[in-house]
Amino acid sequence: MIGPEQYPAVMIVVPLLAAFAINLAGLIDRRFCYPLLLLALGVAAAAALAVLGQVMRDGPISYRLGGWPPPMGIEYVVDHLNGLVLVVTCVVAFLAAVYSKRSVERELPDKIPYFYTLFILAVTGLLGMTITGDAFNLYVLMEITALTNYALIAAGRADRAPMASFTYIIIGTIGASFYLLGVGHLYIMTGSLNMADLRTILPELYTTHAVIASFIILLLGLWIKMAFFPLHGWLPNAYTHAPTATGCLIAPLVTKVSVYIMARLMFSVYSPEFSYRVFGPAEPVVWMAVAAIVAGSLMALAQKDFKKMLTYLIVAEVGYMVGGLWLANRYGITGAVLHIVNDALMTLCLFFTAGIVVYKMKGHAFTDLRGLFRKMPLTMAAFTVGALSMIGVPPTAGFFSKWYLLLGAIEAGQWGFMAALLFSSLINAVLFFKVIEIAYFEPCGVQHGHDGGQAAAHDVIAVDEAPFSMLAPLVLVSAALLAIGIYSGSLVTNIIQYAVPAGF
Amino acid sequence: MEDILARYNYWIYVLLMMIGLYAMIAKNNLYKKVIGMSIFQTAIIVFYVSIAAKEGATIPIIQGAHGAGLVPAIDPAVYVNPLPHVLMLTAIVVGVSTLGVALAVILRIYRQYGTVEEDRILEKLR
Amino acid sequence: MIWQIDLIVLALLVPCAMAAIALKDMMSAAITFGAYSFLMCLLWTEMGAVDVAFTEAAVGAGISTVLFIAAVHHSRRRVAKRRVGRIVFKLLGLSAAGAIGIILLWAASDFPEWASPDIPPSRHLSPYYITKTLEDTAVPNIVTSVLADYRGFDTMFETSVIFAAGMAVAMVLRRRRGREERTGRRVENGFARESPIIQTICRLLAPFMQLFALYVVAHGHHSPGGGFQGGVILGASFILLALAYDLDFVLKRLNEKWTLILANVGVLIYASIGALALLLGGNFLDYSVLSRILPATTPVMARSHGMLGVEIGVAITVMAIMVLIYANIASNGKYDKGL
Repeated sequence: MIGPEQYPAVMIVVPLLAAFAINLAGLIDRRFCYPLLLLALGVAAAAALAVLGQVMRDGPISYRLGGWPPPMGIEYVVDHLNGLVLVVTCVVAFLAAVYSKRSVERELPDKIPYFYTLFILAVTGLLGMTITGDAFNLYVLMEITALTNYALIAAGRADRAPMASFTYIIIGTIGASFYLLGVGHLYIMTGSLNMADLRTILPELYTTHAVIASFIILLLGLWIKMAFFPLHGWLPNAYTHAPTATGCLIAPLVTKVSVYIMARLMFSVYSPEFSYRVFGPAEPVVWMAVAAIVAGSLMALAQKDFKKMLTYLIVAEVGYMVGGLWLANRYGITGAVLHIVNDALMTLCLFFTAGIVVYKMKGHAFTDLRGLFRKMPLTMAAFTVGALSMIGVPPTAGFFSKWYLLLGAIEAGQWGFMAALLFSSLINAVLFFKVIEIAYFEPCGVQHGHDGGQAAAHDVIAVDEAPFSMLAPLVLVSAALLAIGIYSGSLVTNIIQYAVPAGF
Repeated sequence: MEDILARYNYWIYVLLMMIGLYAMIAKNNLYKKVIGMSIFQTAIIVFYVSIAAKEGATIPIIQGAHGAGLVPAIDPAVYVNPLPHVLMLTAIVVGVSTLGVALAVILRIYRQYGTVEEDRILEKLR
Repeated sequence: MIWQIDLIVLALLVPCAMAAIALKDMMSAAITFGAYSFLMCLLWTEMGAVDVAFTEAAVGAGISTVLFIAAVHHSRRRVAKRRVGRIVFKLLGLSAAGAIGIILLWAASDFPEWASPDIPPSRHLSPYYITKTLEDTAVPNIVTSVLADYRGFDTMFETSVIFAAGMAVAMVLRRRRGREERTGRRVENGFARESPIIQTICRLLAPFMQLFALYVVAHGHHSPGGGFQGGVILGASFILLALAYDLDFVLKRLNEKWTLILANVGVLIYASIGALALLLGGNFLDYSVLSRILPATTPVMARSHGMLGVEIGVAITVMAIMVLIYANIASNGKYDKGL
C-alpha cells in the first residue's frame, strides 16, 4: 500500500484531492465541507510530522515524482529546514481551519464551498512551495497560492476588500514574474531547473552578469512576496480587510514561507559563499532590515485600528527574519529560522484574537476592545501570552528567537540591527500595553446601552466568551507559544542547528 | 546579421517588459493596469522561447515516428529545445488565470464604487 | 527560423503594446491587445514553438480578448479624463521600469550566443528529452511527453491553477438575481442585434469546432496540441454560441452545476491517475506501474496511455472553467442573458 516513503507525496496530494471533494460535496450539502477540510488537513499534518521525524532520524529525504530521477523529473527534497516549516504550516493551517467555522458562517454564508476549496488549495500551494526541490515547480505553486489568496481576500463583504485585493494582484504578479525571470536567467546560464543540480553547476558562473542579476531579480521578487519594506505596500490593506478566516490562514504563513524560500535559494541554490561574499557584502541588506523594523514599528504605533496595527507588526517581523538571515553567522540564522516558527504562531494568536473581537464586537478598531478582559477573560488571557511573545518576554517563544538574533547582531558587529531589535521590543511593549489598558480598564463598549454613559469600571458585565471552535485553537496556540519557548533549546539542538548551512 | 538579431531579440523583450511594468504602476485605469500585467507576462514568455531557439532546427516533434517502424538515430541539434516550451505553456495558463481573476475583481470594484479609475476609488475610500 | 519575419514581428510588437496601453477607448484597447497576442503567436511559431503558439492563439488572442470585452461591457467603456496629475506614480513607474531594464540589459550582455546548439540549455538537459522520448514514452511530440510525463506534476498543478481561477471568479462575482446594483453609463452597442446569419453559421460551426478539439486532444501525442489547447477550443465553442445567441442558450445546455462538476472531474482524473500509481506501488504519477492493471501493455505504452488519460482530464477541466469564467464575467455574476 502506501508506505512511509510516500508521505511527502501524501502531504500534497491529500489536500489537493480534498479540494475537489469539498467542492463536489458542497454541491450536495454545504455542511460536508468543514469536516472534509479538517480531515484532509489532519492527514497532511500527520504526514508532515512523520516526515520530519524521518528526517531527524535518517537525514534529508528525496522523493521523485513520476519516478524520474532529477534533473529529468521533478524532485521533492525534505531536510531539517523545510521539514520544520512544513510541520508549522500544516499545524497552523489546521488550527486556522478549525477556527474558521463560525466566522465563515457569519461573513460568507452563501460561499462556503468555494471558500473552503480555495482555502485548502492555498494550503496545498504553501506546502508545495516548501517541499519542492525544483525551481520552476516552486513558481507554479507560488501562483496557486497567490491566486487563491487574491480570491480569498476579495471575498469579504467589507467594502474595502476588493480594492485591497486588486492592489495585491498587481504587486503580487510583479513579484511572481520577477521570480520567473530570475529562474529564466539561471536556466539560460546553466540549462537546469533542479535546485541541487543548479548548486553544482553555478559555482564557475558566479561572476557572470547573468547570475548576479538573477540573484537580484529573485530577491526583489521574493521581497515583494514577503512584504519587505519598502515593497510592503500591499500587505496592510490586504490583510486588514480580508475576511477573518482568510487573515488567520495567510497572515501567519505566506510571508514566512517566502522568507523560507529566500533562505533556501541563498543556501541551497546559490551557496552561502555566493550570497554573503561574491554577491556583495551583506551589510546593506541588514540596514534595509533595520529600516523595515523601524518603519513597521512606527507605522504600527500610528494606527487607530487594531487589525491594521497587527499587519504593520508583520512588516517589522519580516525585518527581523531577513536581517537575521543576512547577518551571516550561526546565531543570526538560527534566530531567523526559530523566528519563522515563532512568528507564525504569534501572528496566528493575535489574528485569532482580532477575529474573535470582530465576531463579538462587529468591528476591529481600538474602541471595540473596551472592557474585553471582563467579557472574554480566556480570550484575552491567551492574547496576553501572544502579546508578551511579540514583546519578547521570557518564557514565551518570542524571547528566545530575539535572543538569538541579538547575539548574532553583536557577533557580527551590527549595532544598528541590535538597536532596532530593542527599539521594536519597546514599541511593541507600548502598543500592547495600550491595548491591554483599553481592554482591561475601560468600561465595556456602547453596544450594551448603558444609561447616559455612566458605566463605571465595576459594573457587572456578563462573561460572553468566544465560541468553542474559535476559543480552543486560540488557547492551543498560546499554550504552544509557552511550550516552544520553554523547549527552544531542544528545538535548536535537534532540528534548527542542522538547518543552518555547514561552516557557520 | 545574426549577431545584431541576437541582441535585438533580448532588447525587445526588455523593452516590452518595461512597457508592461510602467503601465502597471503608472496608469490610472484598472483595466490598463491589467493589460500592462499581461504584456509584462508575455514578454517573459518571449524571453524563455528565445532561449529555446536553435539555428536551423525544426519543431520538437520527432520526425518519421508517426507510423510503426524503426526511427533513425535522433540528433538533438535538429530539434528545438522543448523544455522552455513546456514551462511557457504553464506560464500562459497562469497568465490567463490571473487575468480572469483580475477582471472579476475589477467588476466587483465597479459594482461597489461605480468607477474603475484608481484615483477616484482612493478618494472614495478616504 | 526566418530572421526577416522575426525582425518585422518584433518591430510591430512594441507599437501594439504601447497602443493597447494608451488608447482611451477600452474596446479598441482590448482589440489591440488581441492583435498583440496574435503577433506573439506568429513570433513563436516562427521560432519553432508551435505548442506554445497554439496555446497563445487559443488562450491569449481568443479567450483573453473575449473576457476583456465582456468585462468592459459591464463597466465603463471610455477611460476617464484624469482630474489630478499622477506625476508621482509616473515618475515611480519610469524609474522602476528603467532600473529593472538596466539590470536586465546588463545581464543580457553575458548571455550565451543566441540560437546556437551549443548553449547550456541545449547541452544539459534537453538532449535527454529529445533522444529518449520515444524510448521512454513512445510519444513523438517531445513537448507533450515532457509536459505530461517527465514534468507531469507541474501540469497537474497548472490545471489546479485554472481550477482555482474558476472558483475564484465564481466566488467573487456570483450573486443571485434581484439585488440592484449601481450601474454606470453603459454603452448600448447597436450592432449586437441578433443576426440570423451569424447565429446559423455559429450553430453549424460549433460541432466541427468540438470535433477538432477532440482531435487536438487525442492527437497531441503526434502533432502540436494536447489537453490545454483542446480544452480551450471546446470551451470556445460554447462561448461562440453564447456570443451569437445569448448566455441563456448555452446555460440551457450546460448549466452552472454541470460546469462545476466537470471542472472538478477533470482535475480529479489527473490526480486520481497519479494516486492510482501511488496505490499500485510506484511513486506519484509514475504511469509505468499502470501496466499492471491495463491489459497487454508494456510499461512504456502505459506511460503513453497515462499521458492520454491526464490530457483528457486537463481538457475537461479547462473547457468547464473557460465556460464558467466567461459566464460569470459576461453576466456579471447573475447568469442571465449576458452579453
